[in-house]
Amino acid sequence: MKKFKLYLDKDEEENWLNEMAKRGFAFNNFFLGIYSFEPCKPGEYNYQIDLLDNWHGDKSDFSCFMEDSGVEVVSQWYRWIFIRKKASEGAFQMYTDGESKIAQYTRIRNFFTVALIIEAICFLIELTCAVQNGASFIWTFVALLGLITLTFLRIVWKCNWKIKQLKNEI
Amino acid sequence: MDKNSPLTEALFYILLAVRKPNYGYGIIQDVLEMTKGRLSLGPGTLYGAINSMVSKGWITLYSEDKESRKKKEYLISDTGRQVFKEEVKRLEELVSNSKQME
Repeated sequence: MKKFKLYLDKDEEENWLNEMAKRGFAFNNFFLGIYSFEPCKPGEYNYQIDLLDNWHGDKSDFSCFMEDSGVEVVSQWYRWIFIRKKASEGAFQMYTDGESKIAQYTRIRNFFTVALIIEAICFLIELTCAVQNGASFIWTFVALLGLITLTFLRIVWKCNWKIKQLKNEI
Repeated sequence: MDKNSPLTEALFYILLAVRKPNYGYGIIQDVLEMTKGRLSLGPGTLYGAINSMVSKGWITLYSEDKESRKKKEYLISDTGRQVFKEEVKRLEELVSNSKQME
């Protein structure tokens, strides 16, 4: 089975994958918003999503380590990694203390900050074009880029909020 | 004493678990055993902690099994032992002062 979804919030995405696994659909691949599932026993797996620490998306060291630690790396999309563990082997949390959770959300925030800056630049260039040219289809692009920029801004803000919450808990 | 102290629980127990060569799953299991199931290290937390301790020189890569899978084993270094000792000294001070409460 395949499903198309667009997620920017990895926590919501994680919840959805775990919900699907509970219903007997085990996620096994991601590509450009298309999630592939195969049948599994309801609740067989627990899923987690992580962002690699390096910008070229090299997962070899990470994957080896995860397999040595008893979890399975299911799929990768650039720096995003999908990991799962059989529910029968116990609870599964990638990050179990405040410090490492903060490090993860900081990584995610930095990732989206770069995306945000790039989108904001594109938006400004497109806006300049639209003002000079005035064609309505360019304005459509301006609106679209504006929307994407705002979405990224929201994610960065949300990460900052989470980091603040976690720091208060330590 | 420097910024290394206090150690987080995760770092403290990982250092203990690599007093002999140990790898990912082994470390998680040993820590579970030592704490009677209380402290369960997430693999992500462990991965980050190990990488940061390797770069600080507290632990070293002991062996890499190149045959079937790369199972990496880690071992505490002299610097790591020093850091651990300092931490224990601090903890002993805490415990000895705590007696005043009795």
